Amino acid sequence: METMEPVETVIDAQDVTRRFGDIQALDGITLRVPRGVIYGLLGPSGSGKTTFIRILAGALRASSGTVTLLGRPQPSRANAAHIGYMTQTAAMYPDLSLRENLEFFGALYGLEGRRLSERIEEIAGEVGLGDRLAGPLHTFSGGMRQRASLCCALLHEPDLLILDEPTVGLDPVLRRAFWDRFRRLADVGRTLVVSSHVMDEAERCDVLGFVRDGRLLASDSPAALRQLTGQTSLEDAFLVLAGEPAAIAEGGVR
Amino acid sequence: MSRRRVLALAKRIVHQFRRDHRSLFLLIVVPIIVLSLLGWIYRGSARSVTVAVVDQGSSPLAAQIVQGLQQDGTVKVRQMDAAAATSAVDRGDVDAVLTLPADLKVTLGAPPQQIQLTLEGSDPGTTGTVLAALNRTLPQTIVKAVSPAGLPIQLAPVFLHGGPQFDQLDYFAPVFIGFFGFFFVFLLTSVSFLRERMEGSIERLIVSPLSRGEIVLGYVLGFALFATLQSVVMVLFAVYVLRIHYAGHIGLVFLFTILLTLGAVNLGIFLSTFARTELQVVQFIPIVIVPQGLLSGIIWPIAALPRPLQWLSDVMPLTYANQALRGVMIRGDGLASLWVNVTVLVGFAVLMVVLGTSTLRRETA
Repeated sequence: METMEPVETVIDAQDVTRRFGDIQALDGITLRVPRGVIYGLLGPSGSGKTTFIRILAGALRASSGTVTLLGRPQPSRANAAHIGYMTQTAAMYPDLSLRENLEFFGALYGLEGRRLSERIEEIAGEVGLGDRLAGPLHTFSGGMRQRASLCCALLHEPDLLILDEPTVGLDPVLRRAFWDRFRRLADVGRTLVVSSHVMDEAERCDVLGFVRDGRLLASDSPAALRQLTGQTSLEDAFLVLAGEPAAIAEGGVR
Repeated sequence: MSRRRVLALAKRIVHQFRRDHRSLFLLIVVPIIVLSLLGWIYRGSARSVTVAVVDQGSSPLAAQIVQGLQQDGTVKVRQMDAAAATSAVDRGDVDAVLTLPADLKVTLGAPPQQIQLTLEGSDPGTTGTVLAALNRTLPQTIVKAVSPAGLPIQLAPVFLHGGPQFDQLDYFAPVFIGFFGFFFVFLLTSVSFLRERMEGSIERLIVSPLSRGEIVLGYVLGFALFATLQSVVMVLFAVYVLRIHYAGHIGLVFLFTILLTLGAVNLGIFLSTFARTELQVVQFIPIVIVPQGLLSGIIWPIAALPRPLQWLSDVMPLTYANQALRGVMIRGDGLASLWVNVTVLVGFAVLMVVLGTSTLRRETA
């Protein structure tokens, strides 16, 4: 991997919009993500999180606005090697073994030979799939598939991880393990964008972006968002920012 | 363009295929089964057609006619009496009754004698076989009765290509090899590419350092490997097991099947963009495959088609592949006389690569 000047701002999105026909999926999202933080994108399903994540990852173009990743405009082929991307579906090849899947994706990122096989053993071991490398993916449970997908995103040690609802459907133990791993990655200077619609995950992020109807309602640390809204729970803070404080009294709606 | 990434993609396709026994079966075994069936149909002994002979007088000429019919080998001959023959043809046990009169002999200058032939008549194929056998043997036998040397003037055929042993299978096998290659490779690529989209893995590919061109090239390489394997197996089977007529250079047969399948791979990638389910891919078959099967000269020569259909034939890649495959295998044509076919097939493959790559670009739009 090429050496780079340390860039303080890893993601710089300016006024990003995206339309699908008549539907305005994203409506002017502007945000900056500094190096080494976990940025949580929170919002109900259908709020535009996935659209924004796909634009960040370079799988989709913005209708207007700009995204700069690691100092380069996105999408750009130069960025591709520095991004680890995990989609909502496993997005791997069910008839291939985990090892074959990882060998394929590793090769796309320029890993090969000893380095590749060592990396595969290492990463699979870390997520508890070390003994399942030979198994075809279609024999995996949902949680195993999600861990396999995370392996795939981490394999080439990217600077920026873009993870679309990585913990959905995971049991609490695995979910904790995922978040512990995210934290360790941030601690060594990796930057993570993690989307979720589960509010109790918000607490584990350094910065939160609340998304609703394609707009960014707020973007700040959990503590700052609590202070701003005067609420103790982040869920309530979200509701206040979404302009529905009445819902709090009714016991909260998601 | 990175060779390593393209090879990684091709290797992945090979791995997937190795696991996918059904597709391998479809690609390798099914063509062999179909070719064998064709061989059986065209070369296996047909359902025997039986002619009952009622010999009313045991004249020497009658005995010679019976012998001639038996030697012809296309019909079975059973001698019966008149009553048994009548009920047998009525029941359908025999297909025709040939009644040879008692005083059958050749008398030059006398008015022609009649031999009665009663045909069951409900199957034109059977009727044709009976009439053809008699039309071959009767004149021969009658002339031999007068002059032992046989017909005084005989046809001496000289074959430029093919030969007296050349049959329907020799004529059809070369184009079936092309057709199967095109059909199966198209079907497998489009379904495999569609799966990539359905499973969401295409998203990972697009986000990775892999470029669109590399994706298409990797697919072409991976599938070309299996397409080549398929054509090698089919050609070897046709040549060495079915012993079909074969005049040209075997390398040219591979060249044309591979050129054709390269087009099919990219056509599959291109069209799979317009399908959302596997069923929708199957729905392309009547549009893409069937017209080419009918109009590319496989069964009916293009020259025999109505003019507007000939125009359609002219724009079908399979037409050029079929022409070339027949040319190579039957007539022993070389590249010098087939450069138009090579150009058209290469052009088709390139056009499909461009279209396939451009539809991939749409993926991110």
